[in-house]
Formats: sequence, structure tokens, C-alpha cells
Amino acid sequence: MPTEIETNQPSQSLAETETAPPASQTRTVVGWQGIRCVLPPDWNVTGFSMEHESGYLRVDAPGNSALTVQIRWMDAASQGNNAPTLYNLLASRVRKLLRRPEPPTPKPDLKGNLERVLKETARQAKKAKSRFESSIKPEKTEGEHDERMAINFTWSGNGRGQGKIWHCATCNRVVIAQVVGAAKDQHAIADIASQLFASLHDHSDNGYTLWALYDLQAQIPQDFRLETQKLLSGYLHLAFARGGEKILLDRWGLANMTLKKFTLGEWFANNAAVRLKGLQKETFTTPQGHEAERYSGRLSLFARIRALRESLGALGRIPTRFEGSIWACAESNKIYALQVLHSARTEGLLTEVVNRCVCH
Amino acid sequence: MRMPLKMRLYYGIGRHLPFLKIRPPQVDRQAALTLRPGRNSLLSWEKRDSGETVLTVPQNQKVGRMTRWLAKWMNVPNARHVELDEVGGYVWELCDGHHTIESIVQKTGRQYKMNRREAEVSVTMFLQMLHERNFIGFYKKVGKKS
Repeated sequence: MPTEIETNQPSQSLAETETAPPASQTRTVVGWQGIRCVLPPDWNVTGFSMEHESGYLRVDAPGNSALTVQIRWMDAASQGNNAPTLYNLLASRVRKLLRRPEPPTPKPDLKGNLERVLKETARQAKKAKSRFESSIKPEKTEGEHDERMAINFTWSGNGRGQGKIWHCATCNRVVIAQVVGAAKDQHAIADIASQLFASLHDHSDNGYTLWALYDLQAQIPQDFRLETQKLLSGYLHLAFARGGEKILLDRWGLANMTLKKFTLGEWFANNAAVRLKGLQKETFTTPQGHEAERYSGRLSLFARIRALRESLGALGRIPTRFEGSIWACAESNKIYALQVLHSARTEGLLTEVVNRCVCH
Repeated sequence: MRMPLKMRLYYGIGRHLPFLKIRPPQVDRQAALTLRPGRNSLLSWEKRDSGETVLTVPQNQKVGRMTRWLAKWMNVPNARHVELDEVGGYVWELCDGHHTIESIVQKTGRQYKMNRREAEVSVTMFLQMLHERNFIGFYKKVGKKS
């Protein structure tokens, strides 16, 4: 419990000693499958899908508010004629083999997609016996290089929503994002929507995908795909894979209590994906100033056989080496662990990811 | 104050015989966060130097003379002890009938630097567990049991 210390000093001096809250307390950064945005503090991811090509993300306001942000995305290429015929299955492989460019995909029908979404919302309003109204603005181009075709829309019925649908030419995704709330939340919805659309990105620019949720922020090379996740209270685990190579990211809460019973090394030995015995151990300082332990070395024969079994069909990326590091962040009271199982030709992957991991 | 019939049915029979499909009473999240957990006055507790809190739960209190004699003859202890870790002890101390669940969540989150949602899930699950064991009850207003 935070104890209040009584002082005889005037309140003026207390105010002077106060420092600005860290950025994580003034805003929430959300990143999932290439989608990233900034929202007010304490907003949390409450729903998501595992797929990269098409999926959804839901972020809810804290406390008793009914405000929610819903983002859906789909690959524009999958909207065209891509029925699983023999021609469609073979054509892309033959083109790749002959190094021919993919044919240009037709422009997605944004208005048609939007009308489908609004029709579904209207159906829900009808069920709730509310009058449904919607307004669709004309299509316009957006972005630094005019890469987005976007349509803004609003609706009211069983609640109220303000959103946007767009197609990004760079990542060829169709994204529909909206802020939904109760009918009385009109101004709050408009505020959140302006903040959301000013910060919403649908692809990464630097080759790394941002994964950010529940105070965890890490940038992972964009060709790694999310394989498994565990989001528990006090423990987060994200596992990414590229062929047989893996990046495992873990975050434990209540670090002060854990470190009363275990050292960092003991904790890592209990939770690491491989046995740490025989691996080279060294210490280093993370870019955010935490003392970290690093373990590296060749995978044992059994671990390599297991990796080979798990990476069947991706023979080019069989992991043979392990690198792992663990550190405790006193500022956020969390323990972070990063483990990389990689092939000999991708040295330095761990350092790349550690340097792009924000813990406080 | 008597519990509503639906609640009595669930806590009396429903939770022990799930095939009867007696559903627990639905409390919406907003209303639940305004409840004030209060400790069972029969329990005593002490905080150890190591940070853990030990609850002493009396047994053989509301039993007949014969059962008491049998318990004594078979060396059944008069109390059992439940050990709570540091966070559990912190939440237990706040269960004084004055703090709402919302304020307990906020204080725990601040104290242990937990994300709001993580704190809410952990605290509510823990309070639910304490309630199922009759270690705490919930008040709607200060001093009025729900």
C-alpha cells in the first residue's frame, strides 16, 4: 500500500520534485499483426485473432466505459478470384519459379465491404429495436505518398460508431477501424476516433512488426509469424516462428516477489525452452539500463532433433543454436525473458530484438 | 438481511450439484466493482515478518457435543491455518468493509505496478476464492451486507 509520508515542507516543494509520468502512463501503445495505434492510458486488448492475413483486434476502455475500438483487416488479394483451383494453386508457384511478377490485384471494393459491415450493424440495431442511421463520406486518398484510399463513416442505432475503411497499396490490406460506444458517448467517440486515426498504421516501415499489449512492447522481424500465445494475469508469452527458427518472448509480473525466492539465473533455468547447463553465460546491460544475463551456445542433440521434427517442411531454417537473455525491470516490476532458437546464418537476432524491446 | 432465494439456491445446492443447472446470480461488472468486501469476524490473522499473512480458521464451532468429543478424541485440530502470500495479504488487509473492489484493484495495481486489467482479474479471482471459502462477505454499502 503506498504510504503517505507527512512532511512539514510546503506543498510547493513537493510539486517541484514531482517528475512527469512516464510515457506508458499517459498513453497505451497497441501493436498486433502489423496494426499499431496509440490510445489513452489503461485501454487494453480484449480480443484478437492469430492470423496475419485477415483478422481482428478489439481494445476496450478501462472501468465502466462502453467505449471500444474494433479493427478488422483482410488481405486485398484474397478478395479477388482466388478459389482453390489447380490453376490458382500452380500459377503463383510457377511465376515465382520463373521470377515473373505477380499480376496486379484489382482494387478492392471498399464501398461494398463497408455496406456489408453496416448491414450487419443495422441488423443488430433492429434486434435491439433501435432506429439505425448511417452516413458514408466520399472516397478520398490519404497517406504521405497517397497510398491509401479511404472512406469515413458514422452510424447510430444500438449505440454509436465512427470509423474508417481504407485500402493500403503498400501492404495490400483492407482495414476497417471504428470506435463504438453508447449513444450518449458522442463526444468521447469523436475524441478517441481522431486520436486513433492519427496514430493507426497498418504495416511496419522498418522491417520489424511491433507487438504491444499489456505494457509489453517488442519489435520482431516482420517475417516471423505469431505461432502461440498465452496471455494470463501476471504472465505473458508470445512465440514467433520463421521456418524452424523461433523467438520466444516472456514477461512475468511481480518481479520483486519472484526475486525474493529466486535469482534471475534460477528463474530462467526453470522456465527456459532448453537446458541451460553447458551454455556460455555472460552479463550485459540492455539499452534501457538493466543488468541482463545472456546464455548462448549450440543446441543439444535432443533439442536439435526436436527442432527438426517441429520444423519439417522448412529445411532451410533448422535451428542449431540457442541464445537467451533475462532481465528484471524495477520500474515496471516485471521480469522479461527473450529466447531465440536460430540457424547459424542468423547470428545477432537476440541483440536485434533486445534492443527493440521496451520494458518501461 | 436475507439472501434472495435464487442466491440461496445456488450457494446451497447449485454449486455442489452442477447437473441441476442452477445458475449463479448474475451481477454486472459495474455493480460488482462497487461492492465492499469485509472479513469474516470469526477468523483471526497475523502478518509475519517474511510478508506472508496467516489466517486462522476456527473449526468445530457449530457442532454438537458428541462431535466435539469425537473430534477431541481423534485429535482433530480446533483451527486450520491458511497462508496468503504478500499480495494476498495486502488484499486481505484491504477487505475491511470500507474499500470497494474498484479501490482495492486500483491500490493493488499501483502497489505492485500491475496493469489495470491484470490487477482487476487477479483481485476479483482472489476475492471470489475467499468468498467461496466464507472468509469474506460483500457489503453493498458500508455496514450493510448484500
